[in-house]
Amino acid sequence: MAWMPSGPPWVPRRARQTPNRRTGEETLADIVFGIWDGQTVHPGKDALWTPKLTPLQDVAEYEPGNPIQAIMGWDGFFVFDPSVDLVDMARAYMEVVQRESCGKCVPCRMGTRVAVDLLTRIADGKGSEEDLHTLRRVACLVRDASMCELGHTGMNGVLYLLEHYEGVFRESIVQGVRHPRRSYHTKVTAPCIEACPERLDIPAYIDTIRSGRYTDSLSIIQEKNPLASVCGRVCVRFCEFACRRGMLDDPVNIKHLKRFVSDVELEAAVKKQAKQVSLSPDAKRVAIIGAGPAGITAAYHLLRKGHRVEIFEAMDEPGGMATYGIPDYRLPRQVLRNEAQVVLEMGGRIHYNQRLGQDFTLKDLRDRGFEAIFLAVGCWVGMRLGIPGEELEPKGYYVGVDFLRHVNRRDPLDMGTKVVVVGGGNVAMDCSRSSLRMGANEVHLVYRRTKAEMPADKVEIHEAEEEGVHFHFLTNPTRLLVEDGRVVGLECIRMELGEPDSSGRRRPVPVEGSEFVIECDMVLPAIGQKMDVRCLGDPPVLKLTRWNTVEVNPDTLQTSMECVFAGGDCVSGPATLIEAMAAGFRVSHSIDQYLRHGRVELTEEERMSRVLRAVSAVDEDMVDRLARGVQRIQIPTRSVQERVDDFEEVEMGLTPEDALLEADRCLRCYRILLVATAK
Amino acid sequence: MAATRRSETKTITVFMDGTRLTAREGQTILDVAREHGIRIPTLCYHEKLKPIGSCRLCIVEVEGSATPVAACTTAVSDGMMVRTHTPELVELRRETLKLIFLKHPMNCPACEINGNCQLQDLAHEYDINHLDLHTYNIRPVEPEPEPYATPLIQYHPRRCILCGRCVQACVEITEVGAINFKGRGALTRIAPVERMGAIKPQCVSCGECMAICPVNALTEALGKKRGKAWETRKVKTTCTYCGCGCQLELNAVGDTVTGVTPTEGGVNRGALCSKGRFGYDFINHPDRLKTPLIRENGTWREANWDEALALVAERLADIRSESGADAIGALASARCTNEENYLFQKFVRGVLGTNNVDHCARL
Repeated sequence: MAWMPSGPPWVPRRARQTPNRRTGEETLADIVFGIWDGQTVHPGKDALWTPKLTPLQDVAEYEPGNPIQAIMGWDGFFVFDPSVDLVDMARAYMEVVQRESCGKCVPCRMGTRVAVDLLTRIADGKGSEEDLHTLRRVACLVRDASMCELGHTGMNGVLYLLEHYEGVFRESIVQGVRHPRRSYHTKVTAPCIEACPERLDIPAYIDTIRSGRYTDSLSIIQEKNPLASVCGRVCVRFCEFACRRGMLDDPVNIKHLKRFVSDVELEAAVKKQAKQVSLSPDAKRVAIIGAGPAGITAAYHLLRKGHRVEIFEAMDEPGGMATYGIPDYRLPRQVLRNEAQVVLEMGGRIHYNQRLGQDFTLKDLRDRGFEAIFLAVGCWVGMRLGIPGEELEPKGYYVGVDFLRHVNRRDPLDMGTKVVVVGGGNVAMDCSRSSLRMGANEVHLVYRRTKAEMPADKVEIHEAEEEGVHFHFLTNPTRLLVEDGRVVGLECIRMELGEPDSSGRRRPVPVEGSEFVIECDMVLPAIGQKMDVRCLGDPPVLKLTRWNTVEVNPDTLQTSMECVFAGGDCVSGPATLIEAMAAGFRVSHSIDQYLRHGRVELTEEERMSRVLRAVSAVDEDMVDRLARGVQRIQIPTRSVQERVDDFEEVEMGLTPEDALLEADRCLRCYRILLVATAK
Repeated sequence: MAATRRSETKTITVFMDGTRLTAREGQTILDVAREHGIRIPTLCYHEKLKPIGSCRLCIVEVEGSATPVAACTTAVSDGMMVRTHTPELVELRRETLKLIFLKHPMNCPACEINGNCQLQDLAHEYDINHLDLHTYNIRPVEPEPEPYATPLIQYHPRRCILCGRCVQACVEITEVGAINFKGRGALTRIAPVERMGAIKPQCVSCGECMAICPVNALTEALGKKRGKAWETRKVKTTCTYCGCGCQLELNAVGDTVTGVTPTEGGVNRGALCSKGRFGYDFINHPDRLKTPLIRENGTWREANWDEALALVAERLADIRSESGADAIGALASARCTNEENYLFQKFVRGVLGTNNVDHCARL
């Protein structure tokens, strides 16, 4: 436990020389000294460790023409430029820790304040030898005794600096050197926050659940996410895969905690947003094409920024793919309707049954006085199998997304009794499980790789298995058998796994002569979707990529037309709800900047995220402490017998007692990153 | 208790300071220690609340964990080896206490709970004195003064150790959530919640926050002279304000009631409302009515109960015979018990013969 300081292995030259400009082409030899995860890196000395550091090369410059001089983080620091003032940097870092300390536990609240005062005295040339001793003692206390990870990690950088650059601090004390204050770039984040495409402040909303403040919790979510209840049900939860509690036992059930607060507080939540909005004096008109997750999120944030927003939606209900692609047993219709209502409550308008390319064009919108347009039309065209028999358009043959749309709209459907679904993603799961609920006696799922490679959510796969879906792995369809205009079977071929392909997964190859027929009267291919590019006219008015998605600047989401931005599935190809929402959030910044200043730039948050990703790639994370609370709470589901005949929700939510227990499991892995740049 | 869960009764073995102890699954380290008489210091822990874990005084060492953990929030597991009092732990606790005293003033003689204060006891146990604090030499920490959630309570930001008990009591006991932490770092303080979503939570002045504060950082804004702990006599009694029958302790110095403190047990399980907690100054008030008064020629004279009741009976009978029973209206007090109110309406309906009866709580 005792911190044993050792002598400095390398003392940098005095500060304020001509800085060595880094150009980005130089190599890692540029790191003059660094320590991370308790391992030191020193040019030439630890050559073996160096390859791990390559991600840092990508962030040589913070912004064009502004090289990074040093990085200080939760587990160490890197110095790239010896002219950086380490004492001032340590003080600045500690000031951020103190500013971010939530103030609940004693060591972090007061200990970091003591550290700030001590470092300020030293940096002002008024420090004493005793200050250095006290600093080390208090830093160890904060590291060992704090409640959450902010305190546990906040002192590491300073402790390492004290260990390896003690000479610099001592010199300040002995010679009374004053270190002028400089400004730094800082970021407070956590692994779950960084993993979330929308960067929701997850530990904060879990912490407020823990203290029983559900309204506060929902407010934190709604800072960024207007569809909390939807995300709480169907999000693919990148956050949980990044959750550090998973290193101890299982990740915190973040998705269901979100669902819990949004269910408890939903009524109040939708109503109250409306009152917060007022148009800014320079309000501009923005058109959003598509009322899906991306469109609604963009509308929500643009309205909050004071713009006039109108959404043009091709269907007669909001929600896009979330409405027509996700069955009710996962996401009840009413939940989405309620939450989408927020756009109207806030003063936005939604025009239904307005299809781009059919009822209006991008040019029409410009002519009608919209100064910016957000294109979020999604990927609505299901991919076909490309096998013989398909061209006959037989009865009982539906592309997966079309089938789900029919089911969700309660449109008449040529329902069969024995269904084959092709594909291994979430749409395939939705098709299989919906078929069962629509009255199919038998559902077979055909997937060309193995279960381990299925991209569908593990929970979904498990629930489909429970409900009795038959899985055929390493199987690929080759021919659709049709009689009298009706599907009568699907000929398939066995596959085996060959060499890995570009995605790193082993490529399945057909086994000659292994064809067999699955008799069925319905076939639903769910092997992917693409954008309907016809809506952009012929030739398309926007530049497209070679995958037939809209081409955009990845940082700003601006398309080849300056006033048109695009995001969601129509840019990324079929992806997830939260990624579409993140695009909507991102685009609201871009459009706001574009309307106010006529140009779009990366935000400070995004620049810091770039550096953070590089540092995280270097970081070997581990959790070495016991955590509070119990094991992950299992979410109760309705029994199989009960659920396979209707479209009522399968997963039941957390009870208030369980929500408190689950929230208690969060480690609050807040961490702070500081970047010193030349300018 | 957050970590106790459902009906788990599985027994497990825990080693604490080398002693083999039997514990139940789901208990925290602190639960087990207390059950077996092992003292682990705490400040923020309170039996009525779920563990908070903010004071960091209950930290203990657990085999296999590189750093100490909080005993109040960590669940025990089978075969867990816990050390509660190593020299390193004592040093960390001492450092933590010192940090608390960087803000908490050390002028105990001016404080009413002097001699009855957990923090004072810990300072004594861990030998903290003000000379210790000089090495820190920090800028003074003075959070901005601001009004508290209710005018009945005064908040002393410097005394406050931010254990969070008050905040949790407001959420868990009163279920209002009118106060919360405000600000960050050393300037953190307890303040009224301005807005939760669109709603401003309304403090109901129940005083649960004040009752649960371990360091007297929340005091009665009126009636400030509460007397010292050692000169205060505590009398267990029943609240006189309504028929609920809440149990409380009247604190008295000599014959003067100086305050109300909760007592465990009773229907209220220690909780009180604003009347029961703050409405005691009538007891020693000079205007308090102690005998019946009879008005004669426009002035009041003191009378005894027999005389007064005889007069009331006579006048009621007169009125009833002159103008009929419905000329009489009867109003009972909310400060009577349910049984007394029942008897009263029975008397009015059955004896006086009118239905003109009501109750002040309904007005």
